[in-house]
Amino acid sequence: MKRTQIRRRAVAAAAGLTAVVLAACGPEVSSDAESGAGDTGPADGTLAAPDTDAPAGEITIWDRSGDLYEVFDGVIERFTERYPDIVVHHEAVDIDTKLPNTLIAGADVPDGVFLDDAKVAGLSDHFYDLSAVLEPYLDDIAAQKVDVNTVGGRIYGVPWDLNPGLLYYRADILEEVGIDPASIETYDDLFAAAEQIKAARPDAAPIHLEKEPFLSQLWLEMFASQLGTSLADENGELRLDSPEYRQILGWLDEVNKAGLGTRAEYLGPADLAALESGQQVFVPWAIWWDFAPQQLLPQTTGLWRAMPLPAWTEGGARSGAMGGSSFVIPRDAENPELAWLFYEFLVFDPEGFQAVYGPNAIYPDGLNTSVPSYAPAADPATPLFGPLDALGGQDLWPVAIEAGEQIPGGTPIPQWWAGAVDYLGDNLQRMFDGELTPEQVIAESTEQIQTNLVDRAS
Amino acid sequence: MTSTEMRERTPAAPARRRRRRPSGRRLAPYVFVLPFVALFLAFSVYPLIYTFRLSFTAWSGSGPARWVGWDNYTYLLGSDAFWSSLGNSAVLWLLIVPVQVVVALIAAVLLNNAKLRMRGFYRTVALVPFVTPLVAMAQIWIVVFDSDYGAVNRLLGAVGLPEIDWLTSTVWAKPTLALLFLWKTTGFAIVILLSGLQSIPASVYEAAELDGASRTRQLVSITVLLVRRVVLFLVVMQTLAVFQMFAEPYVVTAGGPYGSTTTAGLYLYEHLGRSDLGTGSANSFLLVALVMLVSLLFVRLLRERD
Repeated sequence: MKRTQIRRRAVAAAAGLTAVVLAACGPEVSSDAESGAGDTGPADGTLAAPDTDAPAGEITIWDRSGDLYEVFDGVIERFTERYPDIVVHHEAVDIDTKLPNTLIAGADVPDGVFLDDAKVAGLSDHFYDLSAVLEPYLDDIAAQKVDVNTVGGRIYGVPWDLNPGLLYYRADILEEVGIDPASIETYDDLFAAAEQIKAARPDAAPIHLEKEPFLSQLWLEMFASQLGTSLADENGELRLDSPEYRQILGWLDEVNKAGLGTRAEYLGPADLAALESGQQVFVPWAIWWDFAPQQLLPQTTGLWRAMPLPAWTEGGARSGAMGGSSFVIPRDAENPELAWLFYEFLVFDPEGFQAVYGPNAIYPDGLNTSVPSYAPAADPATPLFGPLDALGGQDLWPVAIEAGEQIPGGTPIPQWWAGAVDYLGDNLQRMFDGELTPEQVIAESTEQIQTNLVDRAS
Repeated sequence: MTSTEMRERTPAAPARRRRRRPSGRRLAPYVFVLPFVALFLAFSVYPLIYTFRLSFTAWSGSGPARWVGWDNYTYLLGSDAFWSSLGNSAVLWLLIVPVQVVVALIAAVLLNNAKLRMRGFYRTVALVPFVTPLVAMAQIWIVVFDSDYGAVNRLLGAVGLPEIDWLTSTVWAKPTLALLFLWKTTGFAIVILLSGLQSIPASVYEAAELDGASRTRQLVSITVLLVRRVVLFLVVMQTLAVFQMFAEPYVVTAGGPYGSTTTAGLYLYEHLGRSDLGTGSANSFLLVALVMLVSLLFVRLLRERD
């Protein structure tokens, strides 16, 4: 055999060997149908509280940039007074973009992360099971918040804020038209009130209809939450094809077809203009919509009020949950036990939750865009934030706390929830465009979600 | 003299000398290429093999991956969304590449004219969008093409034309996105074509002028003919860019409305965003295969023309 041939074969063999070695560096591959879908076990992935009286070390906490980051900064000061040997590195991060890649790479993973409830289940493989450390507090946490943090019977997030849906309305216009807000007890009443306003003010399209697909799906889930249902049950089985969703979609379709709704993207320029002009009068939305009259609606600030959502049936629940966030502890965290101590202080310790919701440097009257999900912090008689000038001096605390108490449980968020926006979120918009009926939204979305998400996840 | 005679007369000593060369000299070429090979293995071959292996698994990035065989590929090939993303990219390609080649070629010819005053200024101006951060430009696009408050609709309204849902209708979203891509990258295309034009000897044009060829004739018969390889390079580069287009739809339309601007690149990202790394890997390999096929097609076309 010639030398060149030998050399070529040697190079080819080396390349082949290198390829085999490199290929072996990937993730461990198993043919087990159960693997890759959450292999947490008591010995691997379940967090226990630290067993020392003097915990010490450093933790890195990720929060979103903005006002909340500043608020949590204030909590850290108090936490380090309580635990002087724990150093907290607080970082403002674009969590949605950075967290998934960081978790997969497994490098520079933070010890604790602030995360949307809708995203906890989707990334739960990467987080500690917190069932054991949360056990002493579970009875006092809103059932809906426990549900959205639970996957396969394990709890992966420390439930933080509760976001009850409320009905925001223009008090001046209702008074002008002669509608008593207290008379709006059901969605049929709301429809009738909208018709009455439309008759008096022909330019009005009184009810907000969300135009952005992601938010519109979140909004739809708020209505569903009122009826004690959500896209999937605790076993991940799709339950969109149900009388509850039929009722909600039917009502929204009627509002749209009757010209009683303003389709606009949440607080976009068109939405703000319609809110300021009086074209929009009713905004059924989560409590955090109160940000708008406080900061974005200078012409109508003080004219808005809030009340519990109407019920779908007489005597039914007057609120559902929309959005919310929790705290997760990645499995690759260096000091997960210390991160748990931080979140335990922030959520369950009076000093911690008062520092967040009570008057602080960022919110002199307290943080009023959500309420605590932990019952001892959510006492109707002990408000943590004060009345809002933007709501004409209304005391929002008892309204929101009482609405929050009515949110039914049994509404878990499936791992594929965000992916469903491409189907359900889009199809809902198609219904508003007049392309689909409510039945078609249900049928098409069910088929698409089942094929592309549920079946792929199993 | 036959080759056999040559071999017989060739003294054996030099061959032995070659074998006796110091090992350092024999190794030198390998040492010189080693840094490249190491980097190539680490950042190209390894990710490629890793991704290929991953494309046959279901893996969220944590714990062991589950072997699923060809399932990810069969799923994608049977998925409407996958084909729709390719269709969107193909339409964008049609809206972008032919227009860009023509516009950039005309601009490059103008900017290559020695009699043009302030040539340097115009060349710089043409390149400004290319060096401007894409996200900043995309934000401006959102504002300018807003259907309610955008400057474009205001202008249309001022001349009595109806307003258009530039970014929120399935009909107009793709052309609006294509316009952004053209605005952003045509400066790059002009620079590439300018380099091609400058490699054409002036004597060719002088000879054509002596033969009485008009400007148009010179453009068609000399310029276009002699820069066709550069044009092909540009077409291949822009084909790759269009099929990998991600940031533009991600920032401006988020792939909407109704997935009408979900490009192949954005669709791939959606799998990764859901931690569905197996499907994402399979998608990337299908995309690589497609882009390679298209590129080979262009190369073959050029060879046939040659």
